[in-house]
Amino acid sequence: MPKKGCLGCSFPVVIGVLVVLLALTVISLLSGALGSSFFGDLGLPNWLSVGAPHVQLPAEGIFHIGDFTVTNTLLASWLSIIVLVVLAWAVTHRIRLIPSRLQSLIELALEWMLNLCQDVAGEKNGRRFFPIVTTIFLFVLMNAWLSLVPGFGSILITGAEGEPIYLLRGANTDINMPLALALISFIFVEYLGIRSHGGLGYMKKFIRVGQFSRGVGQLFRGKLRAGFGRLFNGAIDIFVGALEALSELVRVLSFTFRLFGNMTGGEILILMMIFLAPWILAIPFYGLELLVGLVQAIIFGGLTLVFATVAVAHHEEESA
Amino acid sequence: MDAETMKMLAAGLCMGLGAIGPGIGIGILAMGAMQALGRNPEARGPIMTNMILGIAFAEAVAIYALVVAVVLIFVA
Repeated sequence: MPKKGCLGCSFPVVIGVLVVLLALTVISLLSGALGSSFFGDLGLPNWLSVGAPHVQLPAEGIFHIGDFTVTNTLLASWLSIIVLVVLAWAVTHRIRLIPSRLQSLIELALEWMLNLCQDVAGEKNGRRFFPIVTTIFLFVLMNAWLSLVPGFGSILITGAEGEPIYLLRGANTDINMPLALALISFIFVEYLGIRSHGGLGYMKKFIRVGQFSRGVGQLFRGKLRAGFGRLFNGAIDIFVGALEALSELVRVLSFTFRLFGNMTGGEILILMMIFLAPWILAIPFYGLELLVGLVQAIIFGGLTLVFATVAVAHHEEESA
Repeated sequence: MDAETMKMLAAGLCMGLGAIGPGIGIGILAMGAMQALGRNPEARGPIMTNMILGIAFAEAVAIYALVVAVVLIFVA
């Protein structure tokens, strides 16, 4: 007689799991802020209560190397670097033609990323942009996902003034890290543009005085109507060029705040949910955080890729 | 009205008003994606990828408003 059951487990196990889940839900609803506002003080033990979240935007320093403060976000970014390097070593130190399971998993991710690069940028350029784009993607992804691993945010140490501070904090929540990545992406895009168009040629995209000066030349030669028309178009061209330059610079800010805002907003959200009802309310938001981490990593890498493609592309000059 | 109340009010208004635009924008994006998907179910891959990209752009504006609200409450 086949074993009757649900989801592969026998009935007693399923009932047991459901009872444990129900107990956890009830306890979490009672012990959080929701419970204490509905039922008042129930006298639950002290270790079940969660204090109000204390959000601090600048990262807290842990120790000093000479004059340089090492913050908890820096420690977390070192941790994600170590995890990535160990993963890379584990996959490649005995690399085989018929891949092992871990190797085929990493190959899946890298091949997906390479396909994305080549879809957006073309065959040759895609292969050329692949290292930086994938590095940015993997670093942002590892920073975001490592901060969701259970136990990451639970290690508390006492700070200099005696207040408890977290030993590790997701590296994306410190505004310096997204700023650094945005600057790297900006320099990468500008360097590629200058290398493929020449310094002066690339600047011509932003300083478009060609039409304006042609209009002035026509005015001097006596063709008044054509001259004024071209002057007008030239003025608009100069304005558009300045606007393009401004939008290039604003890109740095937009990259920074998109990543920082998403990650910090997610962390504050989870802290608030844990404060309201410790276990049950945080679970759907953990799932949301997983998705948001992945999407933000793809967005950062993908946008770098798109801007690099646009910077390298040779525009056809419109003949006036 | 003292400064503390004003900051709370400002933070609430900031996030609330700042979420109207992106909400409508994401809705319009998703509507376009649904229509495209209905016409051509085979192009599901590119449609969904580009929709997610567009949604992340629109969401970034709401995140700017969130950052300002958080700064108002916790820093200012």
